[in-house]
Amino acid sequence: MVITFPHMGKMYIPVKALFDELDVDIVIPPKISKKTLEIGLKTCPEMACLPLKINIGNYVESIKRGADTIVLSGSCGPCRFGYYGVVQKEILRDLGYDVEIVILDPPREGIKEFWERVKKISGNSSLYKGLRAINKAFKVCEETEKLLQLVLRQRCREVHKGDTDRIFNRFEEKIRKVKGAQAILDCIYETKEELENIAVDNKKRPIKVGIVGEIYTIIEPYVNLEIEKRLGNMGVEVHREMSVDGWVKFHLSPDIKFRRRQKRILEEAKDYLGLCIGGHAWETVAHTLNYSRQGMDGIIQLLPFGCMPEIVAESILPTIAKDENIPIMTLVVDELTGEAGYQTRLEAFVDLLHLERSRKENEFGKVLSWN
Amino acid sequence: MNIGIPRALSYFDYFPMWQTFFNHLGFKITISSPTTKDILNKGVSLCVDDACLPVKIFHGHVADLVGKVDAIFVPRLISVSPGEFICPKFIGLPEMIKNSIKNLPPLLIFNYNLHKDTEDKKNAFYDLGRQLGLSSRSIEKAYKEAISRQYIYEVMLESGQNPLAILHPKEKWDKLDSCKGVIGIIAHSYLVCDRYISMDIVRKIRNKGYDVRVVGNVSQKKIEDNLKAMPKRLFWSYGKKLLGSGMEWLKGNEVDGIIFLSSFACGIDSFIEELIQRFNARKLKLPYAVFTVDEHSGQAGFDTRLEAFLDMLEWRDKSGYNFSSHGQDVYSGKSSF
Repeated sequence: MVITFPHMGKMYIPVKALFDELDVDIVIPPKISKKTLEIGLKTCPEMACLPLKINIGNYVESIKRGADTIVLSGSCGPCRFGYYGVVQKEILRDLGYDVEIVILDPPREGIKEFWERVKKISGNSSLYKGLRAINKAFKVCEETEKLLQLVLRQRCREVHKGDTDRIFNRFEEKIRKVKGAQAILDCIYETKEELENIAVDNKKRPIKVGIVGEIYTIIEPYVNLEIEKRLGNMGVEVHREMSVDGWVKFHLSPDIKFRRRQKRILEEAKDYLGLCIGGHAWETVAHTLNYSRQGMDGIIQLLPFGCMPEIVAESILPTIAKDENIPIMTLVVDELTGEAGYQTRLEAFVDLLHLERSRKENEFGKVLSWN
Repeated sequence: MNIGIPRALSYFDYFPMWQTFFNHLGFKITISSPTTKDILNKGVSLCVDDACLPVKIFHGHVADLVGKVDAIFVPRLISVSPGEFICPKFIGLPEMIKNSIKNLPPLLIFNYNLHKDTEDKKNAFYDLGRQLGLSSRSIEKAYKEAISRQYIYEVMLESGQNPLAILHPKEKWDKLDSCKGVIGIIAHSYLVCDRYISMDIVRKIRNKGYDVRVVGNVSQKKIEDNLKAMPKRLFWSYGKKLLGSGMEWLKGNEVDGIIFLSSFACGIDSFIEELIQRFNARKLKLPYAVFTVDEHSGQAGFDTRLEAFLDMLEWRDKSGYNFSSHGQDVYSGKSSF
């Protein structure tokens, strides 16, 4: 049995740690590229959301490298993600790939089935070994997120442009070669130290932008055309609450402190949206409100075309923008998003934020480019 | 008090229930006029661009009611069956309306959530009644009347009645005695019953001499039975209806052709349509067409495609699978036309 899984940002690092500890063979899908997307576009329903198409591309590329079992988490909420597994199975079947898809639904959908599926993919490891592996994977997940947050902090402040990206690219190359959770952690710590030692301008007060929206679009750089890198290299500090680590902490691990903080943020948004409508729409609204109260200069919402829950959030955001007096931009991405137009919009938004800030700091409030 | 009900989305599934409830309590109700070009344009300009056509139309209907009524009834259908959901846009509908339309009269929000238990239906009506400042006794009576009317409507549908015949009783909807065949339309009720956005597809097909079946005509029991074959529980109530009735028709003894009518960017349809299409292609190969409507749909193109589909059905009866697209039949040597 060789397991593979779809890409979602840097999720492959903790997943690799988990299966390495369980001594299960895995294939990490190659980095998402245009080719990956093209495989998906040819075979998937036109109206389906972008992640489904990219997932299929990941599967096909992994199957060609020897994978025969696909692991996917499931859900039974109103978002389409919950039915990905079934539709993807039918698509792969018609493509002629005889693979098994193991969908990990929440245990309340049937505890026995859940347990059997977990046993199947864990290579019949003992309970002790399993728990230890999960524990280590949690640790790797947390450290990866810390590293990513450090990258966000350093990139906009670096003195020599490109330092951060160079170190991080090297890290990504290295991580695929090492084996075992400890080796991965060592690799992370090493990169962290390197990053901390690059030359940065600590006096700089960069423009701060919060990113909200659909989780996959936010954390998968190929889909959002590397928005973090683009903004960072423009000298903008990017804030991103949504992460694999956050999801794991909220849904899987018993981290009560984190959960209470998230619940409080959600509670604060109840004037705008007071219930879960599926996906991450509630979080989008709540984080937008939270960011604007934290003193961000602007907020960007990201969603894939046709995402059902985010559309509801999108229609609420203009009201928040007015009430809190903060610029919000919504970017919808799909397989046709053009790079140049995207870059132009980002640059224009950042220019606007610079103007807005200098207007706020000038007590007469009279700085506009034409007067 | 004059209460406005938008004639869109879940109206077509639940109007007997709502109308009876308000009527019984002595309120005057105003239902927005059937969709017109004007309502559509209003909706498109008010709603966010990325929403689907039915949601935009709902915005248009609400805007149409503004200024004419004292309160507008906006349903928030979270779940209509235990353990299941509806589209996320239905759940966020009141928020979308509140944030997109200005000068709204007070909204009567109907929180309908049967996710835990079907008995919660009652709470939804009590909640609605209290918003109107009514006593529990009068609510109870109106509620009982309302659900019995709703039940009658659903039974009528399951017995094969066309929902349009119930909505437009003045027109002629008799059963066709000598129909050429039966076409099954897989579509949400809010598409098929809205004659403007569905381009009156039901009437057009009937005029061509075919009878029409819609999703509402398949009983819930059959739907549940068919869905047992799926590897994972489907958690959208509307999606279940579409897929379950599609699978019923794919057994091949009820309809001669299937039309899937979907609105552009409908999230649920994109998956259900894919599944039905693949099942059909593997097994029966019934004539099957997908019609996608959006705010730009041209009537002429739609009609042409529909006629072509029906023509194809007739040719298939005549020459089976063996007709070439041009000239003589490859196998029999007869002309295909």
